[in-house]
Amino acid sequence: MLAPLRKGADGLIGLSATLGVIGLMLEVGVILVDVVGRAFGHPLFGSQDIVTMTLVIVVFGGMALCDRGGGHIAVDVLERHYPPLMNHAIDIGAAVLGAVIFAMIAWAVWQSAQLSQMLNLSTNLLGWPKAWFQWALSALALVTALGMTLRAIELILSGRDVRTEDGARIEDALRREDNA
Amino acid sequence: MSIGAIGVTGIVILLALLILRVPVAFAMFAVGFVGIWILNGWNAATSLLASETFTLASNPELVIIPLFILMGNVASVTGMSRQLYDAAYAIIGQVRGGLASATVIGCGGFAALSGSSVASALTMGKVSLAEMDRFAYDPRLSTGVVAAGGTLGILIPPSTGFVIYAILTEQSIGRLFLAGVLPGILLLSCFVLTITLLCWLRPAFGPKGPKTDASEKLRALTGALPILVVIVLTIGGIYGGFFSPTEAAGVGAGAVVLYGFATRRLRARALWIASRDSIVTTATVMLILIAAHLINPFLALSHIPTVVGEALAALNLNTLGTLVVILLVYLVLGCFLEGFAMLVLTLPIFFPVIIQLGIDPIWFGVLVVLTLEMGLISPPVGINVFIVKSVAPNVELGTIFRGVLPFWCAMLVTLAILIAFPQISLILPDTMMN
Amino acid sequence: EELKFANFTPPFHTINASVIEPLNEKVSAATDGALTVRGYHGGELGAGPAEQYVRVVQGAADMAWGLPGYTSSQFPKTMIAELPNAIPLDKPGYEALWTAYDDHLASEFPGTKPLALWTSEPNIFIMKDHDIRSPEDLAGLKVRVAGATAADVAEALGATPVQMPINQVYNALQTGLIDGVITGASTLSDFKLDEVANSYTIGANLGRLAFYTVMTQSKYDALPEDQRAALDEASGMSLSKSAEDAWNATADAALQAARDAGDNTVIDLSEEEAKAFADAVETVVDSYVAEVGGEDALAAMRGE
Ligand code: NA
Ligand code: NA
Repeated sequence: MLAPLRKGADGLIGLSATLGVIGLMLEVGVILVDVVGRAFGHPLFGSQDIVTMTLVIVVFGGMALCDRGGGHIAVDVLERHYPPLMNHAIDIGAAVLGAVIFAMIAWAVWQSAQLSQMLNLSTNLLGWPKAWFQWALSALALVTALGMTLRAIELILSGRDVRTEDGARIEDALRREDNA
Repeated sequence: MSIGAIGVTGIVILLALLILRVPVAFAMFAVGFVGIWILNGWNAATSLLASETFTLASNPELVIIPLFILMGNVASVTGMSRQLYDAAYAIIGQVRGGLASATVIGCGGFAALSGSSVASALTMGKVSLAEMDRFAYDPRLSTGVVAAGGTLGILIPPSTGFVIYAILTEQSIGRLFLAGVLPGILLLSCFVLTITLLCWLRPAFGPKGPKTDASEKLRALTGALPILVVIVLTIGGIYGGFFSPTEAAGVGAGAVVLYGFATRRLRARALWIASRDSIVTTATVMLILIAAHLINPFLALSHIPTVVGEALAALNLNTLGTLVVILLVYLVLGCFLEGFAMLVLTLPIFFPVIIQLGIDPIWFGVLVVLTLEMGLISPPVGINVFIVKSVAPNVELGTIFRGVLPFWCAMLVTLAILIAFPQISLILPDTMMN
Repeated sequence: EELKFANFTPPFHTINASVIEPLNEKVSAATDGALTVRGYHGGELGAGPAEQYVRVVQGAADMAWGLPGYTSSQFPKTMIAELPNAIPLDKPGYEALWTAYDDHLASEFPGTKPLALWTSEPNIFIMKDHDIRSPEDLAGLKVRVAGATAADVAEALGATPVQMPINQVYNALQTGLIDGVITGASTLSDFKLDEVANSYTIGANLGRLAFYTVMTQSKYDALPEDQRAALDEASGMSLSKSAEDAWNATADAALQAARDAGDNTVIDLSEEEAKAFADAVETVVDSYVAEVGGEDALAAMRGE
């Protein structure tokens, strides 16, 4: 029953990351165009708006994938001194805590997006509504929260820890292949 | 429970969560959020959670984080980092720990184009860690070097640390930048000395390479030319007024990507993977930064920094005693607080004391920035150590903390030298800006 | 009760002595210390100028100050006060803003009660290695401005507008990334621009910056009547004047220091020279006012 859920979650996580990657490419492109254009007296109007708002997508696009690959840093010095059951319990607790934090972020930013609409807040140059990017952040944080929730459920029900599995290894293999 | 007691309890809980292996960012989030909730109400806590998260995630100055990571990743994938380290190995590889020294010097160079320690450690980590691994350097040495070397970012100008100090204390940015140059070089030299000493005591830390002749050296250097050109272009572009240090990150990343495509060393698939890896590292780093910004208002609300400062002012010590105690307070606070937040919270209290005692504010600024750097690698909240961990996930955090210890000591020695000889900090601003 | 005043700048900043401290002194004196105002400086309650208004609405802080320019879409009509030629150079900005407040600006401050509204000293040209005497002197120069309307103004003057955060301006001027800034003289000391700039042009009406200090409306409404009265007495016109005077004093001191430094060029434009700048930007200003339907607000600000 968990396997299809995992498949769906990984789809969402991959989609978030893809948005983040596209955002990162956009950042590089916009800065290059702006810098070159400015040298010739024609800076890209609104580049600051594009760069800052895209950063939201870049930062939160990778959050879910980061958690899936075990990318959030913990003090691991004492891990091997703790009994396995305790380590397992801590892993579950941390996943639940993470899910709560990201759900809170999603909710709080969503609330604040409503306020942005009420105050008619938008970016200073291009006039893009701030709420759009707050909604995007909310959605990406929610995907992260869902990923963590599923990870906690897997840890509880089957003991499976997705962070130590395929994901990272596949990418390593790809890198070796690319370097060869 | 008094407000101060709540603050102290928060710190104790934070430590407990960290020891229990709760991810650093989660622990800081939880303590910061609940602390603000208790001290300033639910609305304040959720409002800050939303605004700090969105403000940092859309902060124009933090764009450098994903961009410099991308630059480092692409430099690795296209073999540019490898060529750079081949060149360094050919030139000083026969010296024990030579590559580590080269990395520290590289950190110093990177510091000249970036005002941020986080960006320095990230980029240099991406470029150098795998390379030092390739030449069988001990991870304790390589990660320690990058975490500590990265902190040079805020001592060597341009420096966000000095800018914040200048604005908080109404000092001259230009004088502070100049004041940071010689101490930066001194610290860099102390780092190199530390590496040499470590490798002399433990030869396995940074094994000697084979001797190379002049033609081999030249060939290796030619191979490293592309990345050297990118570095020179980026630094030159900043000082030549073509782009800002923030934009330099985009230009650098763009340059290595274009170079990679032009030489067909970079394929779309590899760029995709490098970018995915970049946003994952960005997520790790940014989440810690956001969480640190929740701890700050919590501690501010608990009035702990104010209480400490007022207690200190009441001690009535002599000049040197006060200076040493203030720096000690910074060393301790630096274990928990993000450096710039610490400045904001404490300088308004300490600075009048400093002025009253007739201590030179520029000199004090240099000392403070150096202690901030030490805070960046002090457990439990050592941001630069986390940065290196995010770049080198297979190395244990404890290993990195052990690795930075000798460098932390080197910084302490540098601090003592700078206290004993104020001229080192003051000679450049005094001769060049009067 | 202690009201939390969020200040995103250090405690040394002009705002503390001219707004936060007087507000606290007057309110606590009038209520025998029952009601006090405490400043939380350096962004302790949350960083950055752009989020201050929202923090007050959400109750993260009870009071805060900020610049409408950072969220100009919320303040289309208030922003008219920032335009070149909107308010005559010799007319106080706080009077203009309060005159227009009830009828034209109040709807731009939902969820809060404004305690002070004021403007900065007039904008000037702060340049490095370029003397500006006429709009022609700006041709092709890269000038830092903030916001879309300011960019249009710079373009109308013939300059290339460059957007960047104010704290990056120092480096940008130093390296030559930009040739100058259009902003108030207080930035010379606040952001140390005096160290890198060397030519100042004064006398053209290039607009000014607007500021607000607001309080959470629900917090205000929940206070007992005597405390509300104490707050009313301590805020409004008098508090705004205190702020504006302090801003002007900082700017005057900074300009005087620039004149005294000896290695700077300070250009005081004649009335005729200044008019050339006013003429150059006239259409930009008119089209902005028309776009936001602000003709009445502008007239009120001018006391017409
Ligand atoms: Na630097
Ligand atoms: Na620390």
